[in-house]
Amino acid sequence: MLEGKKTATKPPVRKAPAALGETVKDNEVSRRSFFSWLSLGWIGFVASTGGFFTMMLRFFFPNVLFEPVQTFRAGYPDDYIIGEVDTKWKDKYGVWIIRNREGIYALSTVCTHLGCTPNWLASARKFKCPCHGSGFKSTGINFEGPAPRPLERYRIVLADDGEIIVDKTQKYQQEKGQWSDPEAFLRV
Amino acid sequence: MDSFKEIVNYISNPTILFTTVVLVFPFIFPPSDWFEKWHRRLGLHHLWGTKFIVIAMLGMVAFFMYGLGDYNFQKIVLKPDNVPISGLIFLVAFFTWLAMNQAYKNDERLNAGEKPNEYFEAPNDKVLVWPDLVYVELISLIIASAFLLVWSIGLPAPIEEPANPTESPNPAKAPWYFLGLQEMLVYFDPWMAGVVIPSLILVGLMAIPYIDRNPENSGFFSYNRRRLAISVFMFGWLVLWLMLIIVGTFLRGPNWNIFGPFEYWDIHKLEALTNINVSEIIYIKWLNKGLPDSIIIREIWGISILLGYFLILPPLLAKTFLKDMYARLGSVRYSVFIVLILIAITLPIKMYLRWMFNLKYIIAIPEYFFNF
Amino acid sequence: MAEQTKKSFLEKAAESQVWKSIFRGGGVPRNRRQRMMSVLNSVFLHLHPVRLPKHAVKLKFTWCMGGLSFFIFLILTISGILLMFYYRPTIEYAYTDIIDLAEQVPFGIMRELHRWGAHAMVITVWLHMFRVFMTGSYKPPREFNWTVGVILLLLTLMLSFTGYLLPWDQLAIWAITVGSNMARAAPFLGHEGPGASLLAIGDINFITMASDARFALIGGRFMGEAALLRFYVLHCIGLPFIIMIFMSIHFWRVRKDGGISTPV
Repeated sequence: MLEGKKTATKPPVRKAPAALGETVKDNEVSRRSFFSWLSLGWIGFVASTGGFFTMMLRFFFPNVLFEPVQTFRAGYPDDYIIGEVDTKWKDKYGVWIIRNREGIYALSTVCTHLGCTPNWLASARKFKCPCHGSGFKSTGINFEGPAPRPLERYRIVLADDGEIIVDKTQKYQQEKGQWSDPEAFLRV
Repeated sequence: MDSFKEIVNYISNPTILFTTVVLVFPFIFPPSDWFEKWHRRLGLHHLWGTKFIVIAMLGMVAFFMYGLGDYNFQKIVLKPDNVPISGLIFLVAFFTWLAMNQAYKNDERLNAGEKPNEYFEAPNDKVLVWPDLVYVELISLIIASAFLLVWSIGLPAPIEEPANPTESPNPAKAPWYFLGLQEMLVYFDPWMAGVVIPSLILVGLMAIPYIDRNPENSGFFSYNRRRLAISVFMFGWLVLWLMLIIVGTFLRGPNWNIFGPFEYWDIHKLEALTNINVSEIIYIKWLNKGLPDSIIIREIWGISILLGYFLILPPLLAKTFLKDMYARLGSVRYSVFIVLILIAITLPIKMYLRWMFNLKYIIAIPEYFFNF
Repeated sequence: MAEQTKKSFLEKAAESQVWKSIFRGGGVPRNRRQRMMSVLNSVFLHLHPVRLPKHAVKLKFTWCMGGLSFFIFLILTISGILLMFYYRPTIEYAYTDIIDLAEQVPFGIMRELHRWGAHAMVITVWLHMFRVFMTGSYKPPREFNWTVGVILLLLTLMLSFTGYLLPWDQLAIWAITVGSNMARAAPFLGHEGPGASLLAIGDINFITMASDARFALIGGRFMGEAALLRFYVLHCIGLPFIIMIFMSIHFWRVRKDGGISTPV
């Protein structure tokens, strides 16, 4: 109807009114279908843009990491004294190996608060984190400061030749009850 | 003089320092009529007079000069990365005074029915950018450049030992502008102190103009007509942000223990820090039995405390103390405002719970890394 | 001829074709019209309006902190570009290059200028925000520009934070270790954050040590070469690019909202 009004005000340069009426009808149909095509186009545009940005986000996660080896051999069980915390692997691998009466376990040297490296204070028999003062017992249990949970333990097994193998890719968390896993604790 | 050092060391303890500041604060920046009355009666409005800033600046300079004679004070203040914070203390003190001084003068003018000092009759009171503004800018730039050059020549940038991923320095500190956050890490879990609270600080700052939106009293310094807004902002900025930065920079030493400014940084200083959770207080201390196995039953007390705090307190306040504010802001703005404020207040609340009851977490679900 | 001899050298120069082609508006700004034109016709000066309310040129009111923040940003850009000529972002060289910058490179205060400038910029940005708050200048119509300002504050802190790692000394690596480990605790996005374990199908966790927010930030599971490179790129290119965009918006809106705020 609007089209009709417009043509009325315009000088009659165009085709006859009968034909015009037909084209108006055609126009409305095609406009409707045009809009659906348009919305389809927009959906496509948004989806592909979204896909592109997802891929860009994925770009930040490399597939191959160039990081040091995570598994190492840590000598024989007899190298470790019962009741002592061995700090010799701390600098190289970030692991404390501790032997108690029942066996040996490997503690991560990463504080569960914000990832600093605690120090073993032999006189106070605790791990003390210098960043925010978290304290852990030699078992790894947190007892003071802001650390929310105990230190993690690594997988520790014996190789065929009787040497200890520590595998840092496998972690065991106490609060999830994983310390009872046979590979979290090496009985000797 | 040693007794003076001891007093300073003693009041530097956050429990005393923070309590004093929190108690004194509303009298210095009064948020309501009652505090305003006492602000005047105690003569605290003289803080913003010209005499006071001279005395205060001289006093601060004297304190620093005296302190530099002390080995421990000198060691922490002259550490290259700490120098900007000493400067910051002076700058913030001066600019707070400058703002408040002009604000009080304008308040008096407004009370007398006059226009504020910054009022101008357009277009008669306008000046040309060239030369009036460009000269001011040029001089500021020259002074700033000269200042930076002198600073750079006089003080070498710090460089420590090469990075060693297995040896944490003691204490290990974040860059100084994040030390307020690091201080919060003592009282909150990392997901709160490191992620949620910083995000909320930004959201809260962005929300300011959408909550306080009366265009009156803008474009000039004033206090009285905007006292609640300014008081709240000042508490967040001076106490919860800058003071925590200063505490984190100057008073946190080895093992993240608190040391007074004149105290020797003793690595073996022992502090009992055995902290307990709400669930442990209720089940072990009060009911004398072990913690229940079910997480929900164990933490139901903490969860209900928090739900009450965040869901029941806001409508309660809207009906009572903050009735006027609720009517003025409407429900959406009021809810955003009150939730942000309540979260900000959890910081002092948790500080005091820690100091008084050794409380660690209200809700402690380490199984799902959810501790509050 | 007598008139011509009275003209100073500067005035003569200002009449030359070269001068006129460079500085539009004609001549040394002496009269009111010329002064207005010198602002209007300069790409740098037209950041300002031509005329201002009286209090807008008083340091007591403006504190000049916004302008100083921008100026220090320019100093940091220039000194930063100069530092890039010598600095190599690898674990092997980063530390020694920083030492060399102080000891072997002529005019060895460039790193000092950069570091102290960075500290100073954080302070000036804070004081600028403080002044804007105290004068109520965030109120309508300037609400959105305050929001842009908060984003600029965040970017300033991020720039400073990413630069902190580059010397690769103990101070740097542990500050960034602590900082980036907070990302590990981000709700849902960090592998030690609340809710992360909910994003799993059966036994397969989507958020692990090798796929969380911290991993994206430091490019690995441990602080190392990848972290240094990422922070370097963010510090030198990524964040400056973003902050430039927001600064343009910020300055443009200051102008569009009527310059410095004035009493109603």
